[in-house]
Amino acid sequence: MTEETIILKDLESAVLNHDDQLLNKALKIAIDAGIQSVEIRRSILGGLDRVRRKLMSNETSLPELLISLDITAQGLETLFSQEGLTPAKDPVSLVIGVVEGDPHDLGKNIIVQIYKSFGYEVCDLGAQVPKERFVKAVKEKNARVLALSAMMSTTMTAMPEIIKEARAISPGTVILVGGAPLDEVLARTYGADGYAESAVTILEETERTITRCMGKTK
Amino acid sequence: MNQSTPTEQLIVPYGVVLCGAARRLAGVSYRDFSTKPEATAESYLCAYEKFGGSVLAWTDLSIEAADFGQKIIYPEESTAFPDYTDPLIKDIEDYRKLKRINLKDAKRMQGVLETIRIVLNSKRFEGGSIASLCLGPLAVLNMMRGAKRLFKDCVLYPNEVMACMETITEVLIEYVEAMCDAGLMNVALDTLLASWSGLSRELWEKIEGPFVREIADAIRKKQSLLFIHNCGDGPYFDSQIKFMEPMAISFAQLPDDCPDRKELKRRYGDQVVLVGNISTPLLSYGTPEEVMAECRVIIEDLAPGGNFILAPGCEFPPDGPFENAMAIIEAAEQYG
Repeated sequence: MTEETIILKDLESAVLNHDDQLLNKALKIAIDAGIQSVEIRRSILGGLDRVRRKLMSNETSLPELLISLDITAQGLETLFSQEGLTPAKDPVSLVIGVVEGDPHDLGKNIIVQIYKSFGYEVCDLGAQVPKERFVKAVKEKNARVLALSAMMSTTMTAMPEIIKEARAISPGTVILVGGAPLDEVLARTYGADGYAESAVTILEETERTITRCMGKTK
Repeated sequence: MNQSTPTEQLIVPYGVVLCGAARRLAGVSYRDFSTKPEATAESYLCAYEKFGGSVLAWTDLSIEAADFGQKIIYPEESTAFPDYTDPLIKDIEDYRKLKRINLKDAKRMQGVLETIRIVLNSKRFEGGSIASLCLGPLAVLNMMRGAKRLFKDCVLYPNEVMACMETITEVLIEYVEAMCDAGLMNVALDTLLASWSGLSRELWEKIEGPFVREIADAIRKKQSLLFIHNCGDGPYFDSQIKFMEPMAISFAQLPDDCPDRKELKRRYGDQVVLVGNISTPLLSYGTPEEVMAECRVIIEDLAPGGNFILAPGCEFPPDGPFENAMAIIEAAEQYG
């Protein structure tokens, strides 16, 4: 195993085992050794992806994912604070928020961290977001994806109107909804393109939905 | 607990679990429903008159946290929730600073107790039965710290979290004992974080298991029946049974060790009464026919052999159509 391979493995392992000391040490060595940022990024995200997959197969739990997400963010921030490095070329522009009246943002925050880590350009509107702010952001950011979250059955009913107005102003935007009181059928009923069942599988669902929508427009 | 033998007609008990939705029957705002025991009681009396059966005297997830001093927002027409921008537990050091509160000064918990007394003393409630719900200490802490911070703290600072849980548990024991003294025959404990969408099994057993065991013991000592409610994804039935030995578990999603309802019945059907698990999204948007069809499948899977109560996986959606609540009752009668 080459020295570069060992350093990159250390980076992956640091995220997997939420070891911030190892991350800082390996990251410094990697940058000083001139390892390409794309390789460093790939290793950090490799660690995060392993945590995500362990969660999918019940081998780990949400708290561990949250800690690994923090370490990933810390690593990527250090990496991209180096002069001349940028997170991703042609990132997917995405607007996300929790609908008006709903303060529950744990799921949304996890998703934001995952999207950002994997190179999406995220406009996070936060929680309790009025319809007008979603629509304005979709237009201003020329959003490829709009992701709406609701954790209460009393607030999810705001979604159809947001979807309708966002579609009117930006027909090409792919719209995903998620949250505990929703399911796939309700997502369709509300006019969304996709349903995000879990924060853990959000990347796959987003990519699948974008691909499906592209197929429809061909 | 068995309701039938294979040769008998199945009797399917049901629970509609109208909580927030009950206020609509009484024309009460959500804010009053959460904060005024007379309004809460009136809501439940109306629910009993319309749907019969039992009522769950519970309003929202913020009752216990409010009494510890967490700032709560009470929207006029939606469920109360903590002000997450101003959590009571702001830093790790705050876990050990949480003060024990006196139950007699706990306004919202006293409100629940008062609601129970009003309902039980009402002539309109003759023949009815009433239950209530107490959040487990970790769920209370969730309201005062915020889920994201709490989840990480459980891994990184378990001793601090557990020190705080001890303080909360002392109060919750007093609370459930007062519920039983007020006349409740059933008390439900909400252990939401004992699930795949909460902590790992090992971490939950370490952090919350010992504390909920104490609360469960207190309920049993009062001769009341212990229910568990857990509407998380992949609840850990085995761990919860190990620590609390409940009579029943109300659930929305399948346990993490059961791929389908039939396996759930096989594995746990003789250990606890299974209460559930009608989809709450379906109750929000489905037609009564669709609700009845889902109930039929659930009854076929879970009712044979007894130890089953047909009910929503969580509270009936606060804005859900009452026709769908009626469909649950019709399904229990028609397919039972």
